[in-house]
Amino acid sequence: MYFSSFILKNLTRRPWRSALTVLGLAVAVGTMISLLAVNHNVEFAVSDSFNRRDVDLVVTQAGVVFETDSDFSEDLVEQVRKLSGVAEHGVSEALVTVEPLYRENGTVLKESIMVQGWKPDNKAFSDIELLEGQLLTEESMGKVILGSQLASNIKKGVGDTIYLRVDSKYEVVGIYKSFVSFEDKAVTMSLKDAQKLTGKRITGFSVRVKKTAPSGTPQAEAEVQKVKEAIEALRDSNDPTVRLAARTPDSYVDSLTHLKIVRAMTWMVGIIAMVIGIISVLNTMVMSVLERTQEIGILRAVGWPPRRVIQMVLGEAILLGLVAAVVGTVGAIMATHLLAMSPKVDGFIEPGVPLKIMAQGIGITAVIGLLGGIYPAIRAACLLPTEAIRHD
Amino acid sequence: MTDTFADYLLFADRVFKTYPDGDVHAVNGVTLGVREGEYVAITGPSGCGKSTLLNLLGALDRPDQGEVFFRGESLSKLRDLDRFRARQIGFVFQSFFLLPTLTARENVQVPMFEGPPLSARDRAKKADALLDLVGMGKRAKHRSAQLSVGERQRVALARALANDPVLLLADEPTGNLDSENAAKVLDLLTALQKTHKLALIVVTHSLDVAERADRVVKMKDGQVVEDSGADLVPTPDAAATG
Repeated sequence: MYFSSFILKNLTRRPWRSALTVLGLAVAVGTMISLLAVNHNVEFAVSDSFNRRDVDLVVTQAGVVFETDSDFSEDLVEQVRKLSGVAEHGVSEALVTVEPLYRENGTVLKESIMVQGWKPDNKAFSDIELLEGQLLTEESMGKVILGSQLASNIKKGVGDTIYLRVDSKYEVVGIYKSFVSFEDKAVTMSLKDAQKLTGKRITGFSVRVKKTAPSGTPQAEAEVQKVKEAIEALRDSNDPTVRLAARTPDSYVDSLTHLKIVRAMTWMVGIIAMVIGIISVLNTMVMSVLERTQEIGILRAVGWPPRRVIQMVLGEAILLGLVAAVVGTVGAIMATHLLAMSPKVDGFIEPGVPLKIMAQGIGITAVIGLLGGIYPAIRAACLLPTEAIRHD
Repeated sequence: MTDTFADYLLFADRVFKTYPDGDVHAVNGVTLGVREGEYVAITGPSGCGKSTLLNLLGALDRPDQGEVFFRGESLSKLRDLDRFRARQIGFVFQSFFLLPTLTARENVQVPMFEGPPLSARDRAKKADALLDLVGMGKRAKHRSAQLSVGERQRVALARALANDPVLLLADEPTGNLDSENAAKVLDLLTALQKTHKLALIVVTHSLDVAERADRVVKMKDGQVVEDSGADLVPTPDAAATG
């Protein structure tokens, strides 16, 4: 018999209690893992879309709380194009917004979908795969192309009409597939159409910097930094109060207000889950130690030192935590898939739990088990053999 | 010739024990020596301090006053009493105290975790050999609840021998057994004591148990009032001076 199998047998002795403890802990941990995964997946999708398009800087209006509130003139974009450090065709401006999608009769078909207005020379057009129809051109007014997942969800194809506002109808001229998950669930139209639809000018643009050294090297970073400072120093002659904020893709993702809120919520739920988990393990292990007082007395009598008794109780608590982590992770994977299918979040959440998040979840649950087991373990180790054996 | 305390395997020198919830001395100045391979029965009425004395002799508890010596070395000076118990003493209890989640074979292995280092396979082999020794080889895979009370006590006996102790302490080992099972366990205990050359101290109410002992120690009110081997035990003064 191994010591580990002895620990396992102690847990299987009260299968219902162990199972319920695991379940309670798994729900708490699963919730935390789901939120961490959702947060990670959104962040990854955003930063991956920039990184794969060789974007060095993401520029939005400085000082706005939500990035979709960003709004500045095309004059500023033109000034950036003229900066010496910016690569040729290295600026791709966009107007990104979230709009409801309507049926012809004015009822809501989708509460919120992403709408992006691009110029025909936007670099992103070169990496999306056209599945059907055609891409947008300079003359494409009143025309849109749909991401394949959105087209499938709303059952629209080339030649169909969509309504973004009651009086704004658009003809679908193409269906595309993008490696960026949220673009695959978006409506893409010309920048002019998007400006007309929203009344805004530009919400942001990406910049590729002319670099003389490979990306990631100190020299390249210095060159990117120089362009960043130059962009942030620019002013709109018509409205000098408007300033631009240029960030690297990773820093941009970190700064996104919506993601910051999700991150904060994740940690808040995570802390609550940890407290619930610790109490749950504590309760189970205290009960378990109390019930086994005589047995622990025997173990002490036959020579088990307090150290081994602590190892036994902590081992049981950590094992409970690890089983809960596995159950919670499986639950989290299922939950993210269910969440991704929900009409409320359609298109904005990628399902699945990355390995890194799984490892974090398992680590956190092991810590929960450890913290929940410390007090019962010490209590068990402090039992005097003679008193424990007499315990009724 | 009278032996000195250093000649004894175990020697309690004027030990006292008082429990915090009472003013009465559970053990009141007992001096007792036990030789290697000797079978000693401690008898007396309930509450006379027999089990408390056994706990002091077995290093399960510490005396308030006095000293217990093992092969001449004071237990109070031992740094690791747990290790001492694990390697030198086997315990048998009235209520067996087998772990219910474990099989007989696994129960026997429990003390081995703190005994001389053995692989899992060797622990299992040794447990099987001990179960064979107590006639429980065929019941090795049975859990406590699947065994009769007599069988449980035999498994407990095998567990007590797990780390090849030199001293076996038994607290009413036949107290929970019917006469037939009691006789079997007693035969086994006596045989093992002889073959393994163990010192055996048994706390008992049973005359049968006491009759088989080399020596009977009677206690009353925490004191030894009669000791059939008293002439072998040094007086407290002799013990103190060696």
